[in-house]
Amino acid sequence: MKIFLFVIFLLTSFCKFSFSDERSDEEKIIEMGDIEYGQYLGAECASCHQQTGGSEGIPSIHGLDAEVFVALMLAYRSKEMENPVMQMIAGRLNDEQIGSLALYFSQLEP
Amino acid sequence: MSKISRRLFNTGIAAASAATLAFPSISLGAVPRVVVIGGGAGGATAARYIAKDSGGAVHVTLVEASKRYYTCFFSNIYLGGFRNYGSIGHNYYGLAVNQGVNVVHEWAVSVNTTSKTVKLGSRNTIPYDKLVVSPGIDLKYDSINGYSAAVQDQMPHAWKSGTQVQLLRNKVMNMKQGGTFVMVPPPNPYRCPPGPYERVSMIAHQFKQSNPTAKIVILDPKPKFSKQGLFEAGWQKHYPGMIEWISSEDHGGLKNVNASTMEFETDLDTFKADAACVIPAQKAGAIAMAAGVNNGDWCPIVPTSMQSQADENIYVLGDASVAKSMPKSGFSANSQAKVAANHIRGALTGSKVFDARYSNTCWSLIAPNDDVKVGASYVGGSEAIDVESKFISQADDTSETRAANYQESIDWYNGITADMFS
Repeated sequence: MKIFLFVIFLLTSFCKFSFSDERSDEEKIIEMGDIEYGQYLGAECASCHQQTGGSEGIPSIHGLDAEVFVALMLAYRSKEMENPVMQMIAGRLNDEQIGSLALYFSQLEP
Repeated sequence: MSKISRRLFNTGIAAASAATLAFPSISLGAVPRVVVIGGGAGGATAARYIAKDSGGAVHVTLVEASKRYYTCFFSNIYLGGFRNYGSIGHNYYGLAVNQGVNVVHEWAVSVNTTSKTVKLGSRNTIPYDKLVVSPGIDLKYDSINGYSAAVQDQMPHAWKSGTQVQLLRNKVMNMKQGGTFVMVPPPNPYRCPPGPYERVSMIAHQFKQSNPTAKIVILDPKPKFSKQGLFEAGWQKHYPGMIEWISSEDHGGLKNVNASTMEFETDLDTFKADAACVIPAQKAGAIAMAAGVNNGDWCPIVPTSMQSQADENIYVLGDASVAKSMPKSGFSANSQAKVAANHIRGALTGSKVFDARYSNTCWSLIAPNDDVKVGASYVGGSEAIDVESKFISQADDTSETRAANYQESIDWYNGITADMFS
């Protein structure tokens, strides 16, 4: 999982570098976000994701970089990443909701 | 208000001075009060989220008789010998200390919806502006001829966590070699739809090691059950010849149980057990009836808020509610609590109220590292809580997927209990 996150991070960094005149999809989605909405929506995540994760199963998402968060949710929404629970959760989130969640979780203490 | 002054405030001893210090311009009565009855997955979560997200602007009292709460979910994992009973016990210290919830360990005995007060076993009353009723289930012992509270120690239901579950484990461990275990699942609707069948799996897992010639007979009052294909394939694979599921269509109905002779009489045959688990039909916990928010056995709710259809100042969560397509599960109750908490805060403090969205996932362990799951997401529709999307484990899952499911269920357990009690 950590390696995957790192690859996503590299890819998003690379996109920003290559097309510095244009905002990435992730950035556009984050700009749609509302942190208060993210707090409400994020309560659903807290049923499984603990503040102190780190086990081999369900990771902690507190303090996750907002662009990485968005990239992961898009990958689950498009079913590129496996896990039926996450595909279901992400599958019903629109861009504004994903952006709101990314904003909310990125500002939490890891 | 700081956590400490809020706690002092909660005791009532320092109420006047705390109110004067913290709210010099408004009266004590202006701090809205929420009372939550029931400290399980619905009630504890609601209390925690209202207290946490209102930052002290709402005074929350949780009424829960038990000082230590043993979760129903994962009690089957204990029955299978995968963890000790203490590991599924939790206290309310985190809610009191971290969130400033006033935790009262008493029974709630009645609700006066006119004066908006809850009467406790001690005869004290607590006033509320909004009341959350999350009492879980009561058992309808008389739904099975011959079964009663008086014989529940001979034939444990173990459908509320606590000593009944430990008693059942004891009966499994001490059943005579090659004996027959009879399981009677409940009729719909009931708490935890896959639960009786996960329980059979866990008892079979224990028998495989300590009593390999034992048999398990399931006398089901239903013609089908949750995750049936996945369970039956798992039983065939891990416990061939040990488990016999008999549908209501085949045995014709359970006519009588006799706890002295341990006999189960059906149209098909009379089954003699050496140990048994009998789970009767269920209904909403008694306080829901006392509050008058039930219609028959269960409590109808407004799907967009979890408010009672009978009283807009009362919210009913979890097993006691009529959530239609949402199963009665700890995950469901926890999810419903967040919708209610958001709605209650909005009503009392003017905070933003967002769209009602719910989710549920149930994991079931069939054998070591063979775990299946089913889940769905829901929205609050105009008539009912409606399914938005759903999934279920596949018959051809790899063993890695099934093992990952088990790890996921353990992480979920840690996650949801932190989400309830921390």
